[in-house]
Amino acid sequence: MLKKINVQDAVGTQLAHDVTEIRPGEFKGAAFRKGHTVCNEDICHLQKLGKNHLYVIDLAEDEIHENEAAAILAGALAGAGVAWENNPKEGKIRMTAAVAGLLQVNTAALAAFNMVEEVMCATLHTHTLVAKGKLVGATRAIPLVMKRVPIERAAAIARQNGGVLSVRALRKAKAGIVVTGSEVFNGLIQDRFAPILTEKVTALGSEVAGVAFAPDDTDLIRQAIISHLENGCDLILLSGGMSVDPDDVTRLAIRQAGATEMHYGASALPGAMFLSARIGDVPLLGVPACGLYHRTTALDLVLPRILAGERIGKKELAFFGHGGLCQDCRECVFPNCAFGKGA
Amino acid sequence: MKPFHELLETSAVAHGHLCPGQVVGVRMAMLGCRLIGLDEPTRRDQIKKLIVYVEMDRCTADAVAHVTGVKLGRRSLKFVDYGIMAATFLNLATGKAFRVVSTEEARDLAAVYAPEVSGKSQQQLTAYCRMPDSVLFRVQQVRVPIKPVDLPGPTQRKVTCLRCGQVVRDGREVVCDGGYVCRPCAEGAYFSNAREITWAEMSWAPSGVPELSTPPDHGQHFEKSGKRRAAVIALR
Repeated sequence: MLKKINVQDAVGTQLAHDVTEIRPGEFKGAAFRKGHTVCNEDICHLQKLGKNHLYVIDLAEDEIHENEAAAILAGALAGAGVAWENNPKEGKIRMTAAVAGLLQVNTAALAAFNMVEEVMCATLHTHTLVAKGKLVGATRAIPLVMKRVPIERAAAIARQNGGVLSVRALRKAKAGIVVTGSEVFNGLIQDRFAPILTEKVTALGSEVAGVAFAPDDTDLIRQAIISHLENGCDLILLSGGMSVDPDDVTRLAIRQAGATEMHYGASALPGAMFLSARIGDVPLLGVPACGLYHRTTALDLVLPRILAGERIGKKELAFFGHGGLCQDCRECVFPNCAFGKGA
Repeated sequence: MKPFHELLETSAVAHGHLCPGQVVGVRMAMLGCRLIGLDEPTRRDQIKKLIVYVEMDRCTADAVAHVTGVKLGRRSLKFVDYGIMAATFLNLATGKAFRVVSTEEARDLAAVYAPEVSGKSQQQLTAYCRMPDSVLFRVQQVRVPIKPVDLPGPTQRKVTCLRCGQVVRDGREVVCDGGYVCRPCAEGAYFSNAREITWAEMSWAPSGVPELSTPPDHGQHFEKSGKRRAAVIALR
């Protein structure tokens, strides 16, 4: 229960909550922290902040203070790889990445959590690559004092399946690259795909074990795939030959190499002709020629998720659709944009 | 209790179709029974402890009745016409009762829990199978003061309406001008202009009594309800 008192009468009482001060363009934060004992000198400052009255809290048995509530919520929301400190500021608790990796948000549980009255949690988009220490979400209970039951219900929703937010470290893959195309194999043009793919793989902490070149020949592409597998590669990227021309035989070669799963076509532009396949446990990613021109394509959406241990199948490729249209900005800020974040 | 998917399947058959309301009803009943400590509500020893109040006459009500085995005619199923997607599960042996309310949020969240499913009904059905109980329901512990005349068991009271002569059972009469009157006479009825008729072949009767096997709990109609009365007194 909250009791209102005049600020002049507050000397000696403890503040029930952080008192926020905003100086436009200069400062936003707690001028006074919860628990601060009000002294004579504070009265004028509080009045300047528009506080002519203060609350004194007398909690009933079934009530809970926002700070305690925020800690319960954060404890339930934060899953593996997400850290938080029980030090609410202005009622909020920030959750950060405890490891570098891929942020995963259970969007259904998040929505259900936020449908509970008087609680909120905001996060970055799911499948965002984050560095260690990156702010990934924040939560708070909205009123200063509220009933305990809705908080516990929200926490139960959040706790399901190990929390709403988690950060999965990327595995270090040993990647094999197969550059297809007779024009490259025969030296008519210089390959530019291998350096681009190598850079993307190494930027995510994996290594490229070898680059093989193959003409538009099903059997030779198949042999290149098999050779990478025999060399212990646990990720294979293939470039070119993903289109609709008669010379585009990469898909057939992947099938003949023993693909146990194959999904062609991603709802992302650029990258519509992307392919995700598997031979046993090894993922194979077919990168269409757009990867030569565009800085960011479907590959950039899929590769981190593959390295985080996800299987990318028909559903995942289809769900890119909403938000899957790259704006081709003059200055690319990916992954800090909406591309591929709608799923 | 049987697994969820089995109960859903048999409930859909009993109801006539599979729909989101069946999923909600089956889960509502499973949760309600669990809360009052009945793990096999349809078993003879448990069904006699159970009373369920359904607050809507929708698909969900049938699913709740199917899973729990409660029946209107056995007085273990009570219909309270609130138009609310809720049911209260009362354990007569302990007096514990929980009201399980289907949340409105669940409807809004269906698209998030089953984004790959098209069609509102199919999407709700899938989503309601996936949501945890905490999203699908809210639960209140409640007290249900049940009157002895509302309990299962033989009719305990019969009076005759002073105005129309109809026998009224189980205390549903009202006192009017110092005498007992049936509710249609006292308050008006859901029907009007009642006029007795004759009809064609009104002398028809089945030709003989068929030989029927006795249902396992047939005997309960003839049981003396002394123990039950004692339980009621303890509850009050």
